[in-house]
Amino acid sequence: MSEAGHLLELDGVAKHFGGLYALSGLSLHVDVGEIVSVIGPNGAGKSTMFNVVTGLYQPDDGTIRFRGDGIVGLAPNRITKLGIARTFQTVHLFPNMTILENAMVGQHCRTRSGVLGSVLRLPGTRREEERIRERAGKALAFFGTRLAGYREEQPAFALSYANRRRLEMARALATDPAIVMLDEPTAGMNPRETLELRDHIVRMRDELGLTLLVIEHDMRVVKGVSDRVIALDYGRKIAEGSYDEVANDPQVIEAYLGTKAVG
Amino acid sequence: MGGVPTRSIVRAGSIGGVAAIFIALVGLYTKFATLALVGEQITLGRLLIVAPGIVAGYAVTRPRIAAGERRVVSLRDGVIAGALTGLGTGIVFAAATWFADLFGVDRIREVFVSVNEELIAFLTFDKGIPGGLVILILLCIGGGVVGGFARTAPDDLRKPASVGVLAVLLFGLLQRIVPIALVELGYDADWLYRAGSGLTILGGTVVFLAAAAADIAWNRGGRQVRDRVRKTTEQAPAARLGLFMVLVAILVILPLLLGSVISETLGQVMIYVLLGLGLNIVVGYAGLLDLGYVAFFAFGAYTTGLLTGAFLNTTTGAAQPALSADLNFYVAVWIVALLAAGVGLLIGAPVLRLRGDYLAIVTLGLGEIVSVITASKWAQPLIGGPQGMRGVTKAEIFGLNPQDDPQHFYYLALAFVLLAAFVSWRLSTSRIGRAWTAMREDEQVADATGISTTKFKLLAFAMGGAIGSLGGALFAVSIGSLTPASFEIFVSITALAVVILGGIGSIPGVVVGALVLIGLPGLLREFEDYRLLIYGGALVAIMILRPQGLIPNVRRTRELEEEEVAQDAWAREEGGQAPAVAAVLPGGALGGEREDLE
Repeated sequence: MSEAGHLLELDGVAKHFGGLYALSGLSLHVDVGEIVSVIGPNGAGKSTMFNVVTGLYQPDDGTIRFRGDGIVGLAPNRITKLGIARTFQTVHLFPNMTILENAMVGQHCRTRSGVLGSVLRLPGTRREEERIRERAGKALAFFGTRLAGYREEQPAFALSYANRRRLEMARALATDPAIVMLDEPTAGMNPRETLELRDHIVRMRDELGLTLLVIEHDMRVVKGVSDRVIALDYGRKIAEGSYDEVANDPQVIEAYLGTKAVG
Repeated sequence: MGGVPTRSIVRAGSIGGVAAIFIALVGLYTKFATLALVGEQITLGRLLIVAPGIVAGYAVTRPRIAAGERRVVSLRDGVIAGALTGLGTGIVFAAATWFADLFGVDRIREVFVSVNEELIAFLTFDKGIPGGLVILILLCIGGGVVGGFARTAPDDLRKPASVGVLAVLLFGLLQRIVPIALVELGYDADWLYRAGSGLTILGGTVVFLAAAAADIAWNRGGRQVRDRVRKTTEQAPAARLGLFMVLVAILVILPLLLGSVISETLGQVMIYVLLGLGLNIVVGYAGLLDLGYVAFFAFGAYTTGLLTGAFLNTTTGAAQPALSADLNFYVAVWIVALLAAGVGLLIGAPVLRLRGDYLAIVTLGLGEIVSVITASKWAQPLIGGPQGMRGVTKAEIFGLNPQDDPQHFYYLALAFVLLAAFVSWRLSTSRIGRAWTAMREDEQVADATGISTTKFKLLAFAMGGAIGSLGGALFAVSIGSLTPASFEIFVSITALAVVILGGIGSIPGVVVGALVLIGLPGLLREFEDYRLLIYGGALVAIMILRPQGLIPNVRRTRELEEEEVAQDAWAREEGGQAPAVAAVLPGGALGGEREDLE
């Protein structure tokens, strides 16, 4: 099925919690260099889909392939190492670590210093530590001066809400991913910050060459960034296509507004 | 009552009284009735009579928030409130004493063994009831006044005075240690200490004045000096190295200055520093609450015994263990550490999926299993079971004999501690330390960020186990024989208390924690019976007054302090940019940039 060479591909993925089907037979794919938005009302299964892809949940059925290889059953850290990075709907940083350290943790899966190297500070470890620092700094610098400068040494909990979101994205970027999955990146941001973030999402693809899968509620952002939009409801894909196609799809309108609201 | 509500005074006074009764019932008064601290009249027992009043008076005069305003109690009100609180304490205390006398001490003694005629006589100053009770109440009032004064007097006065009093107390308590150390240094201490007793009046005065003066001097110039030293050491690695060398030099000559009694205590302290450092990796860095840490201590001690050719104790004499080697200690100890790391993996593996309380319970059980095995018949052919082992030797090196000479043992322990501290420090500041911290803060997110939580949990158990086993190896050398009684749950609890008291995740904290919890009781042998009471009291006090520990993880504290400074500097560097951005923004947009601290 994956001979077409999709970067990420879900096929018939199901996940239920007790009697509740969060995902039921969901199939979708993301190609290299795309920005794909996932929309849908609350409880449609968007975040569950993210959690299943990144290994936090095990799917009850179906296959997930990344670059053609099945990733179901792998630990989250293995999946991250393969090149899938993510952010969370509610920001999850390491609050007592500094901003730079948060980003440096992102580089963890790309480095390999062990106990001996760390204790003796062998030349290899020192070089690696420099590289981690540099790479983390770069990831922070992607967001301009907001996370750079004196702030690098601040603990993450001291950041404003918007900056926490940015730091979480920087940490994801620091894992050197192929695809970044953003779970409602603009939630809680004010209009100006939302616009700024829209540019950041586009820049992640254009400048960093990343593929993006974005859950988003703000339709201006969805419209502004998406190559393709996928609408979910009750754990199923109900529509797919360009923003205009999906936005005018009767099923999507029904899902958002309820039956018989059309016309 | 001025700034202090009557209710608070009554409550604090009553609690003080109950505390005094408690002290009486556990027998502290009779035990320390004659332990003179300064002169002949000021004994520890008498100090304990005033102590509840002092604490109650100090507590009751704390600043209060009333009607949305923080109100500091004035000195006059403080002294009055202190006196009234002391009066309350005294009345409760005196009433209880009177009651005990009426009811009959013999009947009370059936439950509280420390209550006897002697206690009543002590509390009434041999003046009988009711005359002596008046003195008792007056003393409590005095205590309350002192407590109120200690809180509400101007800082210039109360701080040096408090430091002075505490110094006198410390020197008085160390009456068996300080004179010996002074004599070994070649000083004649006759004017300072009375022979076989506490400080002389002159000595007490001198200590008080010296400590108070030192406090004043520190407040005048000490802080600047400290900041300058810190700055220099941060900027110049050479200066840091120099400071480190000075520190090591002091540590090396310390036992020569202090003599063998203190050296022996320091050796015991360092065994617990090793345990603390190891446990700190597991609990402090990786955030895995391990209540069975004694397992590594026991493993280290027994394996050291087996590898260095110790004998089993049997009823008929000595026997060879079923499995043993005859290695030199300095060869064996590395094997012990490696094996202990393996045991860490074994203990870590079954608990990988457990968190928090569940992990604590399971590790508690695993520790208990090890304790039981050491005492079991089943393990008798290997490690001697209830009779244990003896003859752990072969620790001589370079003409030093750590086993027989506490000063030599000190050097061996110091070497181990420095090594373990170095390893801990390097690990904590490395990629591995970052992974541990991330895992401690949020395990699931750490996993999703690419950290193999399995691997790093196991690594924490292995490293913690290896360092803890060094503590066990040292312990085996220090006493030469091993019995199951040394490897009970109390070791786990003490090690954890050391880590918590000092400050979780802090290497200097572990050292201070061990000094306080092992060193002080070791030096103050008089308190041996009350060791657990003091542990409990110290931990409760720390949790209430300073939950982050005595020496918290310094780096983070400093980061918070320096944040403001750095922010200003940054604003200057960025020039007009920041205000310009602010001006462009509509008022509402700034809301998103607010520093909303959690």
